[in-house]
This record gives sequence, structure tokens and C-alpha cells, in this order.
Amino acid sequence: MKVLWPIAYITLKEGIRNRAIYGISLFAFLLLGLNMLIANLAPRDVGKVAVDIALSTISFSGLLIVLFVAINLMAKDLDKKTIHMVLSKPISRSEYIWGKFFGIALILVLTVIFISIFAALSLYILKAGYESFFLRFSWPLVFLAIFFIVMSLILLSALSLLFASFSSTSFITLVLTILTYLVGRSLSDIKALIETASIAGATVSPITAKVVEVAYYIFPNFAFFDIKMNAAHGLSVPIATVFWTVLYCLIYGTLALTAASLVFRRKEFP
Amino acid sequence: MTAILTSGISKTFKGDLHARPVKALEGLDFEITQGEVFGFLGPNGAGKSTAIKILLNLIYPDSGSAYILGSDVNDKNIRKHVGYLPENPYFYDYLTAEELLWFAGSVSGMEKNKIRASSDELLAKVNIEQARTRQIRTYSKGMVQRVGLAMALIHDPQVIILDEPMSGLDPIGRKMVGDLILELKSKGKTVFFSSHILTDIERFCDRAGIIVNGKLRLAGHLDKLLENNATLEEVFLREVERAGSGGDA
Repeated sequence: MKVLWPIAYITLKEGIRNRAIYGISLFAFLLLGLNMLIANLAPRDVGKVAVDIALSTISFSGLLIVLFVAINLMAKDLDKKTIHMVLSKPISRSEYIWGKFFGIALILVLTVIFISIFAALSLYILKAGYESFFLRFSWPLVFLAIFFIVMSLILLSALSLLFASFSSTSFITLVLTILTYLVGRSLSDIKALIETASIAGATVSPITAKVVEVAYYIFPNFAFFDIKMNAAHGLSVPIATVFWTVLYCLIYGTLALTAASLVFRRKEFP
Repeated sequence: MTAILTSGISKTFKGDLHARPVKALEGLDFEITQGEVFGFLGPNGAGKSTAIKILLNLIYPDSGSAYILGSDVNDKNIRKHVGYLPENPYFYDYLTAEELLWFAGSVSGMEKNKIRASSDELLAKVNIEQARTRQIRTYSKGMVQRVGLAMALIHDPQVIILDEPMSGLDPIGRKMVGDLILELKSKGKTVFFSSHILTDIERFCDRAGIIVNGKLRLAGHLDKLLENNATLEEVFLREVERAGSGGDA
């Protein structure tokens, strides 16, 4: 297990020096700058709009980092055969997967902290200018929402490692990761829609209902991690929700990485 | 004592749906004793790199087994005693030579100060000292090859496996690698290297093996292989020709 840190550290260094990260951070700053302008244009609920834009910027930037930096970090190892050098050292396949994951998680935590500092600054300035619209504003809720965003990004990275472990190209990994994210974001809504369809007088075939139900339990539910609405409206989040969400992330992430390790153990690197 | 042993290794790459399976190795048996420099000679696609990758557990044989210093190559701990330079190595673009050596040393269980001392020594030896803090993406192909060599040697391994170590090097680089092989030999290390270059095999090896179409055609001490005043080129071409006409190994 001593080898996890060196793998995580070089993954972090390689990722953090990648120019894509600077581009994504710059894009985030521009959005946060726009936050000031857009919030100014909102006739009311400036506070809610500002919090929503700030958190969405963090979430979207993090998603771009997973898709264009994190996936590349493992895909490049396989495409360019850097993995030959890594696995020729006393490193097991599982250690490689876990080390890579910790490195990617560190990149996400650091970049989200960096972007969050500017997001908080934009909120601070707007709050100072429009105090009356920020009556229900809560910093702890904003930080909790950021923590939830980080968890969802880390979970998505774990899944991208699972996809990379069996995909033959980085493009397939990218497509599978995007699809999983989109499905995971909307499954709760679709399930709710099906369950309430009869109220609206619509009928849903039992097969469709079953498929959605099975998918609901297989795919990660990224809607669990979205508490932007709570943060924007100043609605508290029960401690039990926080506990179960953290547990869900830990269990799902561990399962994804264990599966990735098992697949990777059988993989050959000609 | 035996440093490397392979016993009846066979490997077929299945390919995709429409491609025919490719037999890369067929019953490969060889043994290299400790302190020996062994040259693995063969034409392109003969199975040299496949054999090396099996020794490093990067690919798995369909049948047969391979051992390094008496341990099965599946045991990751044995790789603490193995140094490997891949053919056309590619390392992390945004890391420096110093960071790569730190990584190679750390995962091999070396102490921090030991890594620093060995890095200084090796970077000077492979002539990368001036560029040690530059990112790899700014290096030439030859420089990357030399960093790869330093990474293979940082933990002072007993067995060194080099896949085409001279490829991509200029004459100065080739001399440097040659000197390093001779130095490793004088220290009693086992060096197993594959090459196309016959003169390199003649200069550095105690023993050599010729592999054609996945089968080891010939292996032995150089003076034995070159008896009757034959040159290595003649022996090599004869074996390739015999393999082509279906002659016995």
C-alpha cells in the first residue's frame, strides 16, 4: 500500500500541470465574473440566482476536469504505453487503479477549492451590494453544496476508471462517462414521472417501468448530490441526508474501483 | 543461481473478430544464470518483446511459466529486483527527470536520501544532469531513453531487462549504454537485452539466443555460436532462413 502515494502524487502533478486545467479555471472565472453581471440584471431574488450560478459554475468546471483531464490521465497511460514503465515496478494492478484514483481525487479537490475561493468572493461582493436579497443566505449551506459537488465528481471519476479499465479507447471511456452522468442526473425525475403518470391519466407499460426501476438501482444517482436548490433558498439539509449521501458515495465508489481492479487484473498490455 | 527461467511459454494473440490469431511464442525455454549478459536476437515480430513483457507480467502466457530469481513473475515483489527499459519508452510529459526517478525509487521501497544520492549519480552517468528539472515533454527521444535507463537502474536491481536499449540513440548515447552494460556486468548484475544490432550482441554478451517466429532457434555462448569462424550475421541469417523453410531449431 506504500506505493499508493507515489502513484497519486505523480498523477496529481501530471494533471495539475496540464494546460487544460488552466483553461477550465479561466472559464470558471469568466462565469463567476458574469455572475456579478447576471445577478445585477435579475429584478429580484439576486441572492438565489447568484448562489445557483456560483454552484453551477463549480459543478460544470469540475465535470469538465473529470471529462478532459482525469479520463486522459489513465487513457494516456494506456495509449502511450507509459503503463509498461509503471507496472514494471513492484506495483499491483489494484494499487495502480487506487493510486490513480487518489491522484485524480486530489486534483478535483484542489481545483474545486481554487474555483470555490473565487465563487465565494463573487458571492461576498454581491451579498455586500444586495444585502436585502441575501436574508436567507447561509455560508455553511453553500460549503455543504460544494462538498456534495466534490463527492459527485469523485464518484464520477471512479466510474470513469472502471470504464477505462475495459474500454479499448479513451473516446469510449469519455462517452460512457458522459452517458452515466446524464442518466444518473435524470433517473430520479424519470422514476418520479412514471410513478405519478397514472395521476395525470397516462399509462406506462410495465416493461418500461421495470427497466427504469432496474436502471434506478444500477446507475449512480447523481441527483442525490445536487443540493443547489437548498443552498440557493437557504433550506437546511438534514444531517441524516448528509450521512447517507456520504455513505452512498463511499460504497458506490468502492464498488466501482473494486470492479475496475478486477477487470484490470486480467488486462494485458502488449 | 538462475536469474531468469522460462519454461514452455506459448502465447497467441487472438486479435479482433476478423483477424487471424497470431502465434507470438511457441514453447519458449531458456535459462539465464546470475551475472550473465544475455542477448536476445531476432527479426521484427519474432517474439522478443512478447517474451520480455511476459517476464514483467504485462501479458500472460497461454501456457508455461516464467521465473525471475526463483520467484514466479506473477509475484509483484520480485520486481523490486528487476529494472526494465521499454522499447521506445514514453513517460509523463509534465514531470521532470528528478520526479520520475523519485517515483521509481519510492515505489521500489527506497529511502528519500538514498533516492537523492542515486538520482544524482545516475543522472550524471546518463548525462541528463543539466536537464533534471525540465519537463520530459521538452526532451529529445534520446534523452527520454536515457531517463528510462536511469529509472531502470535507480533501485540497484539484480536483473536488468532492456528492450532495444540502443534504438533512437546517437553514437554517443550508444556508447554510454554500452559502457553501462559493461559496468553492470562487472558488478555481477544479470543483463537481458533484446537487439537487432548484431555488433552490440557480439560486444557485450556472454551468451545469446536467436528467436524466429516465436521459437528459440539457437542459444549458447558466443564462441560456441560462432565456431568455424562464422560471423553472428551469418549464423543469424542461416537461422532465419531455416525457420522460413521449416527447418528444425
